[in-house]
Amino acid sequence: MESREDIWANAMKAERRGDAAAYEWLLGDIAKLLRVLVRGRLSRLGMSAHETEDIVQEVLIGLHTMRHRWDVDRAFMPWLHAIVRYKLTDAMRRRRREARYRYDLTLEEWSNVVEAPREDADRALIDLDRHLGGLSSGQRTVVQALTIEGASVRETAEKLQTSEGAVRVTLHRALQRLASVAGVAPPKPSKGKL
Amino acid sequence: MKTAGDTDLMIRNLAGEAGAGQARSSPSFESTLLLAAILSLACAIALVFATFGFQPELQATLVSAPFHHKIVSMLTLAGGGIFVVRYAGKPGSGALALATVLPGLALLLIGAISDTSGFPLMGRSDISVPSCVTAMVLLSLAPLALIIGVLKTGVTTRPAMAGATAGVLAGALGAAAYAFVCKNDGGLFVAVWYSVAIAIVMGFGALVGRRALAW
Repeated sequence: MESREDIWANAMKAERRGDAAAYEWLLGDIAKLLRVLVRGRLSRLGMSAHETEDIVQEVLIGLHTMRHRWDVDRAFMPWLHAIVRYKLTDAMRRRRREARYRYDLTLEEWSNVVEAPREDADRALIDLDRHLGGLSSGQRTVVQALTIEGASVRETAEKLQTSEGAVRVTLHRALQRLASVAGVAPPKPSKGKL
Repeated sequence: MKTAGDTDLMIRNLAGEAGAGQARSSPSFESTLLLAAILSLACAIALVFATFGFQPELQATLVSAPFHHKIVSMLTLAGGGIFVVRYAGKPGSGALALATVLPGLALLLIGAISDTSGFPLMGRSDISVPSCVTAMVLLSLAPLALIIGVLKTGVTTRPAMAGATAGVLAGALGAAAYAFVCKNDGGLFVAVWYSVAIAIVMGFGALVGRRALAW
């Protein structure tokens, strides 16, 4: 059986011959490994796993830019290891720095500032709840996921174990219903956005 | 927030560039580095003579034992420096390369221990130390820029460390050039102040490298 070193080194050599398929496979294989590494690192640092793919992509782009500087006479794995370690350290350090600059707005500060129109804010929330209450439970779940939680159509479809098309149809019907309750014309479906 | 699907898409795009953008028949990192080191030394020596002129005692200096000690230890250190810079510019090289600076340092140490000249540590005049150290540092700046330029054609995965290795090589080359006009022959003086000058260039290299060699 071939070792990973041989397989990956051969794919790197194939890339130089213009073999896009072999190179695509190689990057995909490395991405799988990176995903595991990054997720572990993020959770150990107490950071959210949201940015896993961003970091994976940063490392892959770094590898891609430097790919022709790998010396084919030398082992590939140690070379890759050094690059991955560097790019991961860099990505993590940057994110931790950003996290430090992130404004830490406490609930107390927030409520001091927004004290005056407080009842209005509560009313708006109550209204929202009431309107959503007029929807069927399926429609409510979809609207909540897409508009309030900010999930994508695909994620919602996966969560509800249905197709993306079904999610879109449900949303469309829910919006029509909400619009008729509010007494306005239903909004035009924005295909591009969803 | 990006998904694994986005990454797959990006991978497909990157794969479309397979085989493109190869620098064909470009010289290897090693030969570029060697060339840069030789060029650096030549420039530094030219700069030394352009600044200090050909002094009448040059002939005597060239055959003196202290000069031989200085030039041999600095060139030995520079030789090790080449391996260290190569280590910094090629990921996956063995860290054993770092040991190649030891022979040069050992020569300096031997010079210090076997120093029977009686020359003082602070040199022959009050300005010996500041002028020697400043001259060596200044002579090393162009070599440092050149070597960092070479490192940029490699892959540096520890930018500050890589810059520091470039500083060691550049410092040793600058000091070797300075040996032609250096009038302080005490082994202890050489061991301490040449090392200090190289350490300053090394620190400077690390500072520059941290930014210049990051990617």
